[in-house]
Amino acid sequence: MNTKRIIFWVCFAIILILIVWGLIVAMGKPVTQTGISGTAPEVTAVDHVAGATSTSVSTLIEYSDFQCPACKSYYPLVEKLMSEASTTVRLVYRHYPLPQHQNALLAARASEAASLQGKFWDMYRLLFENQETWDELSDTSARNVFSGYAEQLSLDLTRYAADLDSAAVKSRISADQDAAQAIGVNSTPTFFVNGKAVVTPSTYDQFKALVTASATTSTP
Amino acid sequence: MTNLKRWLQRPLQPVPLKVAIILLVIALLGFADASYLTIEHYRGVIPPCSVVSGCETVLTSTYSKVLGIPVSLLGVVFYLVLLVGVFAYIDTKKTFLLKWTLALTFFGFIGTLWFLYLQAFVLHSFCVYCLGSAATSTLLFMGAIWVFSKYTVTDTLAA
Repeated sequence: MNTKRIIFWVCFAIILILIVWGLIVAMGKPVTQTGISGTAPEVTAVDHVAGATSTSVSTLIEYSDFQCPACKSYYPLVEKLMSEASTTVRLVYRHYPLPQHQNALLAARASEAASLQGKFWDMYRLLFENQETWDELSDTSARNVFSGYAEQLSLDLTRYAADLDSAAVKSRISADQDAAQAIGVNSTPTFFVNGKAVVTPSTYDQFKALVTASATTSTP
Repeated sequence: MTNLKRWLQRPLQPVPLKVAIILLVIALLGFADASYLTIEHYRGVIPPCSVVSGCETVLTSTYSKVLGIPVSLLGVVFYLVLLVGVFAYIDTKKTFLLKWTLALTFFGFIGTLWFLYLQAFVLHSFCVYCLGSAATSTLLFMGAIWVFSKYTVTDTLAA
């Protein structure tokens, strides 16, 4: 093989390596949230809030969908953050069930029905931790699985079943979703720190830095 | 199918450089697309679930792997073989290299049809990156058919 041909093949290999390297570098950057045109609505008494009770701490609002695989992948990060910074961060969970996820709305309703008996966060954990067991089930089978979770949480099952299909629960979820759509939220998870949309972090360290940096700069 | 068999039994005439370069560029696009999905898979990053896309449904479905290997990695290997084959033809001008490389696009096209069927009728969700690869794979197959029909040595030419 002469020198010219060697150069020819080396250039070819370099182009391929550059493509892969460029992709790795570009994909290492956090995903930018696009289309969000406003701040997240204020936290109210109807919101699901965990962590710090004071309003002077950093507030992390998550618009999420229990059937969304990306939301599930952020679930352990959020849990870890809340275990490490529960006194300086308050977490607010808001519903944004997407239409392509067949059981997402039912899951959101199950969490609201559990919330009416004071077990929102327990149901939240069960739904995310077992997402693979119910995400592809029919409506009837998913209902049975969620009833099983309600039983596991020692809920009043008669009340749970009535709340699951109640207009109040449905409108509670729609209210979250409508408010999110009004400010341009179009994907899940979408995070807001102290009301402002933030780029979705790629790693736990980025995530923690983002939230805790805001905690130190947030005004009382 | 009969045509494909006949084309593979006969030698290919030299194909103009610009045709080979077009095939190379399309394969390069497919390679970049499949590499993107493979990197995303191994980084463990799941794209956000969007109102207008079902990408995450497709990429996290049971059909996204074959025997534990991500389909996107198979795509990378497929496009890499095509790239090396076409590039080797440009380098050596040996037409049998191009003929057998282009024959592989048939398998790529069959795979594309299968994955389009899964997205449309089983998962009811489409992933734009998978559709991008479907487009490059289809273009390469159409390009291969065109090259075979135009440059395969016929009886008249052979005589």
